Amino acid sequence: MLFPRVGRQQWRVRAAWWGVVAILCIGILLHLFPFYFMIISSLKSSFEVLAFPPTWWPEHPTLAAWRLVYSLVRGNNAAAAALLDGPLGLYFKNSLFIAGFTLFLGVPITSFAAYANSKLQRGAIARWSFIFFIGTMMMPDALTLIPNFLLTRNWPFPLPTPPMIPGTSTPFPTVRIWDTAWAVILPGVFSGFNFLLFKGFFDTIPDSVIQAARVDGGSEFNIFRRIVLPMSVPVYAVAVWGMFSSAWDQFLWPLIVLQTPSKVPMSVEIYTLIQKFEQVGTTNAQQAFAQSQQMQQLMEAGLSWNGLMVLGLLQSLPVFVAFLVCREYLLRGIRIRGLK
Amino acid sequence: MARVDVEDVVKSYDTADAVTITGRPLRPPALNHVTLSIEDGETVCVVGPSGCGKSTLLKVVAGLETPDSGRVLYDGEDVTGVRPQERGVGMVFQDYALYPSMRGKSNLAYYFQVHRRSDEEAKRRTREVAEIMGVGFDSLLGRIPTSLSGGEQQRVAIGRCIVRDPSLFLMDEPISNLDAKLRESTRVEIKKLLRRFGITTLYVTHDQQEAVFMGDRIAVMRDGRIVQVGTFDELYYDPANLYVARFIGSPPMTILPARVEARRVTVEGQGWDLPDDVADMLPSGEVRVGVRPEGWALDSADGVRIPLRHVERIPTERASFLYGELAGASVAIAAPLDYPETESVQATPDWGRACYFSAEGEDTLRAPGALELF
Repeated sequence: MLFPRVGRQQWRVRAAWWGVVAILCIGILLHLFPFYFMIISSLKSSFEVLAFPPTWWPEHPTLAAWRLVYSLVRGNNAAAAALLDGPLGLYFKNSLFIAGFTLFLGVPITSFAAYANSKLQRGAIARWSFIFFIGTMMMPDALTLIPNFLLTRNWPFPLPTPPMIPGTSTPFPTVRIWDTAWAVILPGVFSGFNFLLFKGFFDTIPDSVIQAARVDGGSEFNIFRRIVLPMSVPVYAVAVWGMFSSAWDQFLWPLIVLQTPSKVPMSVEIYTLIQKFEQVGTTNAQQAFAQSQQMQQLMEAGLSWNGLMVLGLLQSLPVFVAFLVCREYLLRGIRIRGLK
Repeated sequence: MARVDVEDVVKSYDTADAVTITGRPLRPPALNHVTLSIEDGETVCVVGPSGCGKSTLLKVVAGLETPDSGRVLYDGEDVTGVRPQERGVGMVFQDYALYPSMRGKSNLAYYFQVHRRSDEEAKRRTREVAEIMGVGFDSLLGRIPTSLSGGEQQRVAIGRCIVRDPSLFLMDEPISNLDAKLRESTRVEIKKLLRRFGITTLYVTHDQQEAVFMGDRIAVMRDGRIVQVGTFDELYYDPANLYVARFIGSPPMTILPARVEARRVTVEGQGWDLPDDVADMLPSGEVRVGVRPEGWALDSADGVRIPLRHVERIPTERASFLYGELAGASVAIAAPLDYPETESVQATPDWGRACYFSAEGEDTLRAPGALELF
């Protein structure tokens, strides 16, 4: 309750309350508007979607774009498939693989680190490791982009070429994860923000509970699994959801490190599709004619912005589903985050 | 059964709030060369103001904290480096520390699960504990801790502690979070349990009355040191210093500034002859005299007049306490229950049964020693 009920007798408080409500409503609308526009665009025809000024409601609602995407998924539209580098399901699978492994590795690693920092480390060591982990959050992404890129080429050296072993002409052995899904997964495994979230929660668990379990004879891992974990479900829900949506939606990093077209996730593939769509062109008149005819067909079928909007909606669907699944825990977790 | 020895333990804290960012300790050590031994089957109460290190002492004995130096021995065996998991102690915490996600039953069964004992054993022991803990304990076991009241949580916590047949009980202010009435009854219940099992117990409290009730012996702590260990009579009649004298006894001892000269003592211009055995032990000069509430002779001819602030009547003890002020010090005097309300009272300290402390510092110059009642 933002303002106590009794206080609303005062007209000033009431006005302020309505003011806050208005601001919140504007915020909600701002957040929902892109979704709204995505949905109506996906229902427009290819020509209406390009109309300027844009229409706020589809004048001739059509499911052409949805049908096209469906045929794309089924793989029985040759013209559209020519624009794609593989079946659409493949990119979906790539996305799932990346997001899944980021979660599978990232949630345990981040939460164990936070638990160790909160309950097992003491004194100056705890202070410094906390500052170190939080420090990773202070680094802007743009700053780590190039070192990270070089690291995926020659791990563990952030250098374009691995250095030579001194006194010899052979280079140090390096691991190359560049152009594999692991190049996307591994940098996302530790998240400073989730570390902070977990640590904030574990700090609220009284030490005495853990000490009681120690006296009872539980090993540190058993204590974590049997006593701490069941208490921490909400905070895990928040972290899982946050990690999933960021792993699912990430774009720049996979675009940089994944060069083989069949390895990219959904988000990158949609972008390439837009690119191709905009840059279709050729030097040969006959080809150009064939291509423009093809494009004409695709446009009619719905592969324009409306088709892309369908893809975009499909792309954001898993995040939305994930939210619905753990909504209850998320709300509880956000309350924990807000109050403690 | 076990005998516990704590030998010359030093412990400084290095938790976040106790160190600077470079790890330099901000506070003096929580335990400063503490030595204490608990005989087999004995209950020792550690008492002191908050922050004096008494909980730290308990944690060192439990193994939850590792001492910086010194040793902890169980039955003469050095366990300083042994993890708490392997010490087989039972501990009760001030905030009960029940596992919040488990029902009462699972709280009790956790010990058996982590020690890979059979479910039957856990069930059998839980039943036995429920019998010991008495009426209504069964119904607590099916509920989750957050739905229990403080007193109920505490009963489950004590049950969890005794279910494993510990060789050593450690209690960290187990009843100080309960309300006054419940505290009274839980106190009796714990005392009964201790009697029944005869288990070596270290009991930490800040309440000296609780310590007197629970402990065979009492250890008074201050600033990480144990000031005095002894039975209640020893602490009461033979305090090691002014601090113990003030800490033990309720209402507290009256401390009067006085002057000793030529076998006479003077308080606020009024003089008395000192008994011979006292006079022999006291140097001339300024002293502080400690007089217990029961150490006053009321309405005596040579008494000093003490203006009274108020009178507290305690029918159960058939006594009343007169509170007043003399020479800038608060005075508490025990009187009969039917003592009349007056503005002031004429009273003489029993100089033979008073404690004498040096004016500077806290050393005891002379203490009366325990009464020989029988």
